Amino acid sequence: MQWINLFRANLRKEYLEMKRYLPNTIALVLTFYFIFLGLFGVIHFFGDPSTQDANIQFVIVNYIFWFLALSVIQMFGFEIVNEAIRGTLEQLSMSPMGIWRILSTRLIASTIIYGIIIFVLLIITMLTAGQWLNIDILSIFPIFVLTVFGMYGVGLMVGGLAIVYKQIQAFLQILQFLLAGLTFIPLAASPLMYFLPFVIGVDLVRDIMIDGQTLINIGWLPLTILFINAFVYFVAGLLFFNYCERMAMKKGLLGQY
Amino acid sequence: MEKIIEISNLAKSYRKRKSREIIQAVKDVDFNVYKGEILGLLGPNGAGKTTTIKLICGLLYPDSGEIKIKGIPNTDNRLESLQHISAVLEGNRNLYWRLTVRENLEYFAGNRGRSRKEVKEEIDELLHMFQLKDKENELVNRLSRGMQQKLAIAVAMLANTEVLLLDEPTLGLDVQTGLEVREILKSIVKNYQRTIIISSHDMDVIHDICDRTVIINQGTVVIDQRVDELIKLFEVLSYRLTLNEPLSLDQQKAISTRFPTNEYVEDQVYSYLTVQLEKSEDIYQIFQVLQLNRTPIDSIDRKAIRFDEVFLKIIQGDHQYAMD
Repeated sequence: MQWINLFRANLRKEYLEMKRYLPNTIALVLTFYFIFLGLFGVIHFFGDPSTQDANIQFVIVNYIFWFLALSVIQMFGFEIVNEAIRGTLEQLSMSPMGIWRILSTRLIASTIIYGIIIFVLLIITMLTAGQWLNIDILSIFPIFVLTVFGMYGVGLMVGGLAIVYKQIQAFLQILQFLLAGLTFIPLAASPLMYFLPFVIGVDLVRDIMIDGQTLINIGWLPLTILFINAFVYFVAGLLFFNYCERMAMKKGLLGQY
Repeated sequence: MEKIIEISNLAKSYRKRKSREIIQAVKDVDFNVYKGEILGLLGPNGAGKTTTIKLICGLLYPDSGEIKIKGIPNTDNRLESLQHISAVLEGNRNLYWRLTVRENLEYFAGNRGRSRKEVKEEIDELLHMFQLKDKENELVNRLSRGMQQKLAIAVAMLANTEVLLLDEPTLGLDVQTGLEVREILKSIVKNYQRTIIISSHDMDVIHDICDRTVIINQGTVVIDQRVDELIKLFEVLSYRLTLNEPLSLDQQKAISTRFPTNEYVEDQVYSYLTVQLEKSEDIYQIFQVLQLNRTPIDSIDRKAIRFDEVFLKIIQGDHQYAMD
């Protein structure tokens, strides 16, 4: 029950702050849409007409996942830096629920809110592009959840760095490009891609949305690999975050910015 | 009395980022906090007060020593010990400025796993108590600093913990709000049976509301005493006589012989004689000297020692003399 109350409180806070910072939220959505229009324009006017439809569909799915990965993975870091600047990080750390639980529920809340925004944007981008992807919710949802779970693990690692170093904005800028690489490069590019976070999840979603695959067609092996990948990254992220939190407490860095 | 917090042999050092120099913030700190008391934590800047408070809150790990909160070691069972402690560490900065007063209270209660429904009545009660009821739907960034400070304390209160730690609760407040906060703190102890630890530079606050004070200087506890006992320790029998006529040289000499620490000054209207007596009966000796020339006395005042004077004496090392 405490978890549910914690989640509700953070969902409400995320919603209220998004509403109160409405210009920021609108700017974020518009930026997302205009960048997509740019990509669409490049493919439409300069791309090979014979592969245009496939390329546009590929870009839509990858772009959506890149946006999601950015939101989820960077959020942990940004939240910690913002809380430290505001002066509320130590208050959160004093909750008997523990800071990682608070930030995780906030992250889940924010994923839900962004998930809704992303879904609306997906419809708009498909309308703009005139390309309709296969949105098989039953097949996509479990893969999506596992993929996001792995992203949380990476987010926790970034959060761990933020709790110790705080001024990690430059690193977050570089991270954007790394995440773009992870979402845009196909799994087939190298066997090593299986070991990287969330790459397999994005690939499976592409199979469903672009090639019309279903969960049954995909088979148990890729799903098992996705599950192990997500689990390993999440546990590693959690351990790393807790290690960094302890280090910050030993060095007196928790509330400092 | 039941011990709520036990602190023993606490030590914490930091390494400065640039110079890599090691700073010993706290060393061999020992004191207990008892149920239902208001403890004042005093010390000059850099004495180790905030470090001690953060160690109690579990926001820092000690290099050595132990803190037990209700018998629970706060380094081994940090989250469990935090169920008994809440704090206001940075006053109004502890709040979300884009949320309203009520939303802040609900959010922080939620972070402790409590539902909005569960805390609704408690929030109403706190809003009345802190005189924030008419501001409950106001964004925090539109409140005065005093109101923000009161809200930060209300948030800590809502955690429903036995111990409340307040770091500089009256810092930057105007006189009226400062007094309001003091009254609120007194009523928290009286009506809610909470234990409060206050770190403050405001001697009046400590003197007015604290039962006991722990004074830290250069990272160690130099005094752990009840406030009233502490004042008694430093109290001296010091009297100031205002005279309507100046003393003759013979009278001055006689007084200097009997009371070498006297102080005598004259102005155009009065003469002032300040003497420090060993026992109160010694004042008759002064009267005898004054009677020599029938010097008229305008008034006699007992000089009381202020708490800030006591604090300064302790920091300057005079406490050893007083304790002896």
